[in-house]
Amino acid sequence: MEAWAPEYGLPADPDHLEDPSGAVDLGVELAAGQWSPITPAGAAEPPGCVVFVDGVQRIDARIWITDGDRTRPGVCASVAAGAVRCEGSAARIADPRVFRGVYAAVSDAAGPIVTRHGAYELVPCAGDAPDSLHNGIRNQMTRLEAQLAADGADLVVFDGPLRGRADAKGVGFVKTHQVGYLPDGEQRVLTALEAGQRTPLFLIGGAGVTRWSWYLRLPGPVIHPLSGVVRCELPGTGTVNEARVRADEISAALPRFASEPHKEARAPQNLYPIAGLEADLRRRLGDREILERALRLAAH
Amino acid sequence: MSDVVGLVIGTDDATPLEFWVAVADGSHLQLDDVVAVTRVLPDGERINLYGIVSQVRARHEGVRFDSDVFLVAEGRLPAEVSEAAQIQLTRVAPETFVPPLPGAEVRRATGTERDAALDLEDVERRLPAGLSRNDEPIYLDLDFVDGTKGAHVNISGISGVATKTSYATFLLYSLFNSGVLGSEAMHAKGLIFNVKGEDLLFLDHPNAHLDPDQRRRYSALGLEAAPFGSVGVLAPPRSGDPNATPATSSRASGVRPFFWTIADFCEQQLLPFLFADAEDERQQYTIVVQSVTAQLAQCARQSTAPDGAVRIDKTTVRDFRTLVEVIESKLASDNPDPRWTGRAVGAGTVGAFIRRLHASVRHVEHLIRADIGDAPDHAIDLDSQQVTVVDIHRLHDRAKRFVVGVVLRQAFEAKEASGSAKPLQFIVLDELNKYAPSDSGSPIKEILLDVAERGRSLGVILIGAQQTASEVERRVVANSAVRAVGRLDSAEARRDQYGFLPPVQRQRATILKPGSLYVAQPRLPVPLLVEFPFPAWATRPAEADRSQAPSGRGPTQPDDPFEGLS
Repeated sequence: MEAWAPEYGLPADPDHLEDPSGAVDLGVELAAGQWSPITPAGAAEPPGCVVFVDGVQRIDARIWITDGDRTRPGVCASVAAGAVRCEGSAARIADPRVFRGVYAAVSDAAGPIVTRHGAYELVPCAGDAPDSLHNGIRNQMTRLEAQLAADGADLVVFDGPLRGRADAKGVGFVKTHQVGYLPDGEQRVLTALEAGQRTPLFLIGGAGVTRWSWYLRLPGPVIHPLSGVVRCELPGTGTVNEARVRADEISAALPRFASEPHKEARAPQNLYPIAGLEADLRRRLGDREILERALRLAAH
Repeated sequence: MSDVVGLVIGTDDATPLEFWVAVADGSHLQLDDVVAVTRVLPDGERINLYGIVSQVRARHEGVRFDSDVFLVAEGRLPAEVSEAAQIQLTRVAPETFVPPLPGAEVRRATGTERDAALDLEDVERRLPAGLSRNDEPIYLDLDFVDGTKGAHVNISGISGVATKTSYATFLLYSLFNSGVLGSEAMHAKGLIFNVKGEDLLFLDHPNAHLDPDQRRRYSALGLEAAPFGSVGVLAPPRSGDPNATPATSSRASGVRPFFWTIADFCEQQLLPFLFADAEDERQQYTIVVQSVTAQLAQCARQSTAPDGAVRIDKTTVRDFRTLVEVIESKLASDNPDPRWTGRAVGAGTVGAFIRRLHASVRHVEHLIRADIGDAPDHAIDLDSQQVTVVDIHRLHDRAKRFVVGVVLRQAFEAKEASGSAKPLQFIVLDELNKYAPSDSGSPIKEILLDVAERGRSLGVILIGAQQTASEVERRVVANSAVRAVGRLDSAEARRDQYGFLPPVQRQRATILKPGSLYVAQPRLPVPLLVEFPFPAWATRPAEADRSQAPSGRGPTQPDDPFEGLS
């Protein structure tokens, strides 16, 4: 077991790991060069049931697996995923799940670790490199999120990019802007957005996995040109028109959930239901020090 | 036998005396509910912890700010509602004081387990003391009332909520009629001083306002909803009435007048009871009082007429006014008689005594007289009926003290003389602060202290009441094994005298509704909330069911019998 505290060498926020590859087609809704902010029309009725899906992950301990002469690194991590159903005047956390795993490259020596606070199941990763292990954790979290039921929802908001999820009602909700999809001309439209307005759609991605995407400014104080701007993603199916109607509906529905800076450090992008869900999921991960102690006892 | 209502929480300390329970979905706990939880020790011994709910709380979990409640209510932020109840321990059996463990199942205590929780299992003689909020009977251990292990009941509470006197009479009724006294119930006696209105003059009349609901409450306690069976009512004579007809306005029949003859007054040395004011004790003239009392006793021994008159020197004294004049002539003449004044007493002191004596004349002259032929019939007789009500509400404070002091001494001395604790003599006295004030002494206070301290072995049981226990002599209250508290003024509730009430109960005591009190008894560390049924006897003239008597008046029955009293 690694003596260093697990925080060291943490990966970047999974949100940051967007796929920068692939083409960007700006001219799907309005021709490139003719962009202007769009005030979404919204649906006649706001969605009755909005489900927010999110997951959290935490590294509980770093371990060393002795495989014959070789010693390989591994990671013990807990991930949790859950959904908040916002229906009428009630927001309920539904179906929270927790998974604890040992992430390591495939080898004869690697196996699950049973502690007095639960078992860490083996999740084989592609290799020993830190990135491989971290991808393994993130993929496990995505798998957990994918198991969540969102029956009867009018809108399912996934925190972060879609990462291949193709729920017909789903939308990816990206809070940070690590990748610049827009050239300078269109960037000006982005900074000119008023609260509640969105940019025209653009199509991103290649190799068959395309997504409709647009930027939306949430209500809140504007401190810098991109304050409160988020990027949304829809699966790249259907016609432009269908995507446009859907984007309008979603853009009209989301500002209601925007958080305020005095309550939420990442306001307004970190929506209230997601903030509440993350707090709840982190609680469900359990106390890290307790788990670390249990792992240390189990390793001896 | 048990149903689980929740689990002991682990986010607050659980101690053997107090712990919190998270209430399970679909269950609820309310204040005063009785619960039980079991802890199994490593050696397999099962420890049962019993307690009552002293506080309940509900809160949002998973939110940080108070204003988050708006987000939660609008469905924008997820949160869980958590409900928790604080349990105050009433008993641990067997006595191993370990805390319940977080996660332990807490069950509602019913039936025999409730008895165990309230430490009633081995109580053989159970005195019904009222009902819990969910209409289950609450008992007192008679051993702590009748003098076996403890005695006396003390009741505090602000006036006007019809609780103190009503509860005192309810306890008396329960003592006499529940069968808890066994065969002694026939012989046990009650003495009640009626200090306010003519409230207690109708104890033997059914209450016309008693509805079937209240009757059910009586039967839940194993009591019959009926008035007192054997009641004698005594009232002072009308002032200035030569026939000494009793001065009651609402009750005409069955009331006897009471007074003392001049001979009684002298022989029984009642003079000090006229000097029972708080300031009297601090005055020099107590020595004069003693001397005069001794002289009067001597005169009475020498010559007493059959009608109760006393001859002092050459004057036959038949009324109190004459008696005062005779005493004055002995003390204030040019040559005062040192046997009457006492030694080395200045003229000023004698003057103060005489002024005081004069002032009392118009308040007590109708109580001390020898101008009625059949004087012996008018003595206060506690034995010819079970409950004797002595009405003193119309009397001046000075006369009230006189009557209370004299009657208490009579009752106490009778028990002292008999030398046996049985049959029991119960005494109900409201406004104890007047008779046993905390800050001064008086002859009555001495007697009350005697009752409080020795009455237990003599079989004289005081059921005392007062608005504020802080104004009553500490030893009188401290000697009461059972203490009840009705609604308290919030400033009063903070005083040390109510230290037996835990903070939550103390706070709740300020909002208790009429007809409910906290009753603290030695067996339980936590006072219990007790509701007693509406009196089955009339507590004011309008309630008296006079179907057998003329002039049956009374308003229609209100839905809430205590309405308008809060």
